[in-house]
Amino acid sequence: MTQYIARRLGYSLVSLFLLSLTIFLFVRLTGDPAVLFVEPGASQADLDSIREQFGLDRSIWVQYASFVASLAQGDFGQSFYYRTPVFELYLSRLPNSLMLALAAMAFSLLIGIPSGILAAVRVGGFWDRAGKVFALLGLSVPSFWIGLVMILFFSVYLEWLPSSGSGTPLHVLMPAFALGWYFAAAHMRLTRSSMLEVLGSEYIKLARLKGLPESLVIAKHAFKNALIPVLTLAGINLVIMINVAVVVETVFAWPGIGRLLYEGITFRDFPVVQGVVVMGGSMIVVVNLVIDILYAVIDPRIRLEA
Amino acid sequence: MSRHMRHRRPLFVVLALALIFGAGAARAGDPQGQLTWGVHTTLAPTWFDPAETSGIVTPYMVMYALHDAMLKPMPGQALAPALAESWTSSEDALSYEFILRKGVRFHNGDEVTAEDVKFSFERYRGAAHKLLKDRVAAIEIGDARHIRFQLKKPWPDFLTYYVGATGAGWIVPKKYVERVGDDGFKKAPVGAGPYKFVSFTPGQELILEAFDQYWRKTPNVKRLVLRLIPDESTRLAALKRGEIDIAYSMTGELAEEVERTRGLTPKPIVVQTPFWLYFADQWDAKSPWHDQRVRLAASLAIDRAGNNQALTQGYSKLTGSIIPESYEYFWAPPAPAYDPAKAKQLLADAGYPNGFDAGDFYCDLAFTKYAEPVLDNLRTVGIRARLRPLERAAFYSAYGDKSLKNIVLGSSGAYGNAATRLEAFVAKGGTYVYGSYPDIDALFEAQAGELDRKRREALLHKIQQLVHDRAIYAPIWQLGTSNGLGSRVGESGLGLIAGYPFSAPYEDLTVAHK
Repeated sequence: MTQYIARRLGYSLVSLFLLSLTIFLFVRLTGDPAVLFVEPGASQADLDSIREQFGLDRSIWVQYASFVASLAQGDFGQSFYYRTPVFELYLSRLPNSLMLALAAMAFSLLIGIPSGILAAVRVGGFWDRAGKVFALLGLSVPSFWIGLVMILFFSVYLEWLPSSGSGTPLHVLMPAFALGWYFAAAHMRLTRSSMLEVLGSEYIKLARLKGLPESLVIAKHAFKNALIPVLTLAGINLVIMINVAVVVETVFAWPGIGRLLYEGITFRDFPVVQGVVVMGGSMIVVVNLVIDILYAVIDPRIRLEA
Repeated sequence: MSRHMRHRRPLFVVLALALIFGAGAARAGDPQGQLTWGVHTTLAPTWFDPAETSGIVTPYMVMYALHDAMLKPMPGQALAPALAESWTSSEDALSYEFILRKGVRFHNGDEVTAEDVKFSFERYRGAAHKLLKDRVAAIEIGDARHIRFQLKKPWPDFLTYYVGATGAGWIVPKKYVERVGDDGFKKAPVGAGPYKFVSFTPGQELILEAFDQYWRKTPNVKRLVLRLIPDESTRLAALKRGEIDIAYSMTGELAEEVERTRGLTPKPIVVQTPFWLYFADQWDAKSPWHDQRVRLAASLAIDRAGNNQALTQGYSKLTGSIIPESYEYFWAPPAPAYDPAKAKQLLADAGYPNGFDAGDFYCDLAFTKYAEPVLDNLRTVGIRARLRPLERAAFYSAYGDKSLKNIVLGSSGAYGNAATRLEAFVAKGGTYVYGSYPDIDALFEAQAGELDRKRREALLHKIQQLVHDRAIYAPIWQLGTSNGLGSRVGESGLGLIAGYPFSAPYEDLTVAHK
């Protein structure tokens, strides 16, 4: 088991190293940030001065070594745009992103799981067909469109909800729905397929043969087991919601990490983009690592196969 | 009770009521109400510190509220006296002396002194800081109100840089900055402007409150809120709902929606950002663009008026110059013409009766919508080009590195005057200059050392005329943008300062219904 955990930990560290290298190189392919901090027509001296200020006048490998060295000390560097430590910026936006992500996750699970169960229990019936349409719409309709339609309807037409911003529970409703919509569809699909798999298994047949009521078979025996992959996916999705809800946070002017990432990309704020991606990547790697370890604990075949 | 007293009772009551309620009520002329903006771009703490001004116009959105400058652009004046009540320059243009206004105070109560002016200049590290510091030999303080900048050599554009194009002449309180440090200053800025800092929530909003001791006048509006709403459609929704009073940057169909919506008012302004076509290969003898007739044909092919109507609701100002008309030493060229027949004739005369393949047409991705109709206009007369939008950073990097070819759609909103614009875009060695003409370079050299204003103006006009006659550029328009105003806005401040894209001066703003 120890060997298994050590190996998984090693893979995680390699993943993080590759992630840091990839994002570091990719952001530098997008152009020179100095030109975005001046008006076209600025002198070469001004451009050079900005590059020097940002440390962009050094060779790319010196910049990378400095980035990794700082990262090892938990320092993500200083934002070009805000001139504030990136970690501080990240933490200042984290509560907003957490609030939005948790609300969106609650919505997506409340919609996705019951509709997935209904669809699985009534395969080929009305609820199954309705669920398929819901899943198709959820996965194909862009969240910015849903967001704008909601703003027009609930804010401008009905005047029930604030159009954007944050600060009250009412502010979170529309962005949470717009963000959770896609994930609700994903969770619905997975719940349905997982439930179908479990409902076809031998122990469910046995439970039915024993004469247990159908509601008990579904709620107690099938649902519990079908839930494991859904919750695993939900964990990963929560990390994604926290870190890359770029479109929804921009449409609703929600001051979260997604918008911080958007600002970082817009202004070629390399430290911000690197910081957000590495933080998000780290969370996913950690969640995966924990899941791998838990699977290995639960199922000895996994650690033996590995 | 005597009869006399009974008559007096109503008077006492009135007086007593006046004393009770009058003490609590706002005096006439006190700042009242609130105005809220939907701002299109992210507010950064660096905007709170004039020392960090990088040369883009957006930080002035905050600086006009929090801070004040020695001189600054104001309604009807390119450089109006502000903290400096007057200034003089020596005949040899080697020194500039400023006299500070008496009794002006920062928000913390400290008086604005010559020491603060010197300190603000010395700590300035934004756009053109090296140029300014290299040219200033010494700063001499006479007394608390008198300060002289001694230059190493005559520099007629000193004021343009000191107070026009940079933040070096925007004054911060020395004692306070030294006490709280640079980071502390960004967290709780103190200035001498018409509004005091209240709070800043990164990514959300900035709240400011009227400074009733502002020297120019007490601001009319008590509280200003600048709310970040990056999405244009959301800004419009917020404006319709009355959540904000002024929505910056409404374009295309959304600007038309503002015009159609009852209770909202469009507020178009022409900003100091001319757009143009640059013929990057005109110095290559093998290129069609080497022929002046071809360049002129391209200019004549552009339907500026039609494109203006279609893309910017007619708000842009058509121009024949790459220099904003509000700039010092601007030469007004003839109005640009649209004549496709003449364009075709010129192409035929130049040896291209069937037109020619013009290669790539580069533009900033954000301005693709402005490039597309121009591309069509060129194609109509036979100049066939392929549009190559590049992402903004990549575009300006390539433009500055001189690696673009054929046709470039360029623009600039940089502050300065005609000389600074020509330096960057026309004269030899300029950041965006792909080639130059010896006679123009000689004239540019001559104007740089000319201390007589009239003679310098004549030289700069001559250069602009040559740029126009040779069709080095095909200028298109000075961009017009629209903003939306809600019903609570009296004076929005938009368009009061020529070429400035945001509300200012803030102390002149009013709320419609108090």
